[in-house]
Amino acid sequence: MIEDFFTHSPYELSQPEKEKLLLTELRALTHHHYNNCRPYKNILDAMGTDIERIKRVEDVPFFPVRMFKELDLMSIPRDKIFKVTTSSGTTGQKVSRVYADMETAMIQQKVLIKIFGDFLGKKRLPMLVIDSAETVRNRQLFTARGAAIIGLQMIASKQIFALDKDMELQKEMVCEFLREHAGQKFLIFGFTFMAWQHFYKELLKMDERFDLSEAFLMTSGGWKKLQSESVSREEFKARFKEVCGLGHFLDHYGMAEQIGAINAECECGHLHASIYSDIIPRRHRDFSPCEVGEPGILQMVSVLPHSYPGHSIISEDEGVLLGIDDCPCGRKGKYFEVLGRIKKAELRGCSDTYAAGF
Amino acid sequence: MRQDFEKISYIIGSEDILEGMGKVSALPLFSEAARTFLAALSKKLLADPRAKAYPDLMDYAFWVRAASLKRMSGRYPHKDRKIGRGVSFHIAPSNVPMAFALSFTAGLLAGNACVVRLSEKSFPQAEILLGTIENALADFDDMRPYLCFIRYPHDEAVTAALSSMCDARLIWGGDRTIQAIRKAPLPPRAVEFTFADRYSLAVIDADEYLKMDSKAVAEKFYLDTYYIDQNACSSPRLVCWLGESIEAAKTRFWSELSKLAHSDYELAPIQAIDKLTAFCRAAALENVSLRKDDNLIFRVELENLKPEIMEYKEGGGFFFEYTMQDLKELLPMLEKPCQTVCCVGTDPEILRGMIVEAGVRGGDRVVPVGETNKLALLWDGVDLCEGLSRFVNTGKDE
Repeated sequence: MIEDFFTHSPYELSQPEKEKLLLTELRALTHHHYNNCRPYKNILDAMGTDIERIKRVEDVPFFPVRMFKELDLMSIPRDKIFKVTTSSGTTGQKVSRVYADMETAMIQQKVLIKIFGDFLGKKRLPMLVIDSAETVRNRQLFTARGAAIIGLQMIASKQIFALDKDMELQKEMVCEFLREHAGQKFLIFGFTFMAWQHFYKELLKMDERFDLSEAFLMTSGGWKKLQSESVSREEFKARFKEVCGLGHFLDHYGMAEQIGAINAECECGHLHASIYSDIIPRRHRDFSPCEVGEPGILQMVSVLPHSYPGHSIISEDEGVLLGIDDCPCGRKGKYFEVLGRIKKAELRGCSDTYAAGF
Repeated sequence: MRQDFEKISYIIGSEDILEGMGKVSALPLFSEAARTFLAALSKKLLADPRAKAYPDLMDYAFWVRAASLKRMSGRYPHKDRKIGRGVSFHIAPSNVPMAFALSFTAGLLAGNACVVRLSEKSFPQAEILLGTIENALADFDDMRPYLCFIRYPHDEAVTAALSSMCDARLIWGGDRTIQAIRKAPLPPRAVEFTFADRYSLAVIDADEYLKMDSKAVAEKFYLDTYYIDQNACSSPRLVCWLGESIEAAKTRFWSELSKLAHSDYELAPIQAIDKLTAFCRAAALENVSLRKDDNLIFRVELENLKPEIMEYKEGGGFFFEYTMQDLKELLPMLEKPCQTVCCVGTDPEILRGMIVEAGVRGGDRVVPVGETNKLALLWDGVDLCEGLSRFVNTGKDE
């Protein structure tokens, strides 16, 4: 039961203790989705999976996260759908749709609060969101960005949206907010690229300087877009520190298909899997699990998805385990680094690539 | 027209040559000029140590050597009564390195001036061939007006200008490519051949296979599949088994192929995900089961055979597999998109007989294992030399 997890703080269990807890829950979830999601059952049957023979976390069957773009996968009747999260991917591609009922949505919220609470403390703090209120307007159809913002409402005493609907900084309002909270602990949240484009660059242009040394800049959404502008993770932090003294960065890695069970970055710059989820880099030649230090394709397990079969999926990201139970920050379990998207194949053959430019 | 041509870069040929193509004399089928030029090209390629690394380039070099051309010309008894249509415009695919070579060679042997649009992506073997053509042209000034190899960024205006000056257009590519290029109209009398995305399959007689050299068969099947990432239209996607000792034959066949794939094939991480995705998509909705030891070979066993299963096809070592009681079970698969049937231990003549008798719409080639990618003037059911030439009739030829 998910309640068994709530008695622990998110990073207190050593890997063997954590896996024991995870295994029981993941096996139960595999049964649950097998019995309630027909396509999932079909896939497991075709793989020849015997759920009874799952003895380790790494035995839990997984399928590609891309399947959420191919099919409507859910383990609940349609009338129980409480929210649908979409992830856009690249323009023009299919979007993935993730279905949550009330129960799963509650669990996602609760776990998100527990994980962030470990970094930010229990007190709710005001949050400046580097996004537009439009992003969260339609509650029936969330984008991953909208879902992240809504999820974070629970850890914020209030949310202020920094951008108007044209994605322009509402300068007066933001400056007033920053003046009011300068020198105090508060939160700023934005997707990495947006925080850079719409916040850092605007701060740079202003004559007024703010002391944000106590603030936490929470980011997600990856570094790919910034890297294409030649801004590294290190430079991102250094430049923010330079312009406003920002000292606390809380990046995290997660995906729309496993909302809630985020992997947060600690003070040492390592991403940590909490007790609610785990990360298994796998070798592409046979999907066997990698050793610590060996890069592989990231499989992610999470005990949060009850309404859709997303408790064990393999991503298209490459990553590497940095260690287990021994991060200097003191958090237990696996910690890792994401190396980026695995490359699109350039294959020989008669497939359709010429038309792409027309 | 000139304005549109400014965007063209000439790998071989020039704007003057391109503009003059409409006026050059068409040549007879298998003309002396074209044959001696191609034979000289073949000699240069066969003597080039760089070419040895590319089996597809070597295949081409052998294909256009003098003796091979002579043999091919034997199939055209009326060749002195046929001449090229004029200008053939070839749009090569972006990911089959040697398709442009087959295309222009057919155009030239049919007697046309050829303008070949190469893909933006370059392949080393294609670059070697282009360099050798340029080099060979030094001794064949008379052939220069007949050849232009060009590149241009995707541009409808250029495609339209080239289409408006040609007498035959050949499009190699997927359905979307063909649709896009077809927006450019052809002159009223021009003909068009399209080589669209197709699928191919293999038929193995288990009992005959067990009598064969399994290592040699694996090497040939590897050439048909992994060597071109199992992504060519002619690469088998489905393996159908016939006979008694099917399980024994399967075990031997796949383990031999696995050995080769392990030593020779470089599987990219994304291919492992692509193959798992293709399997899951099929498994979610169809009655299939997966057999695999690792990610090099995915075998997806089918409960029943239907062409729709090809919607889930994937390359890089992803095979549907089906056990037949009777060869006739294959007929529903021989639909329009089906190109090649690759035979292991089965007689291609029997299959051809079955195709002709049943009047199905697909199955253009029935060839032995190892030959699915073999260059041929008969392609996708079309005799390219016939299609790209015209018959000058005196009234006594009918």
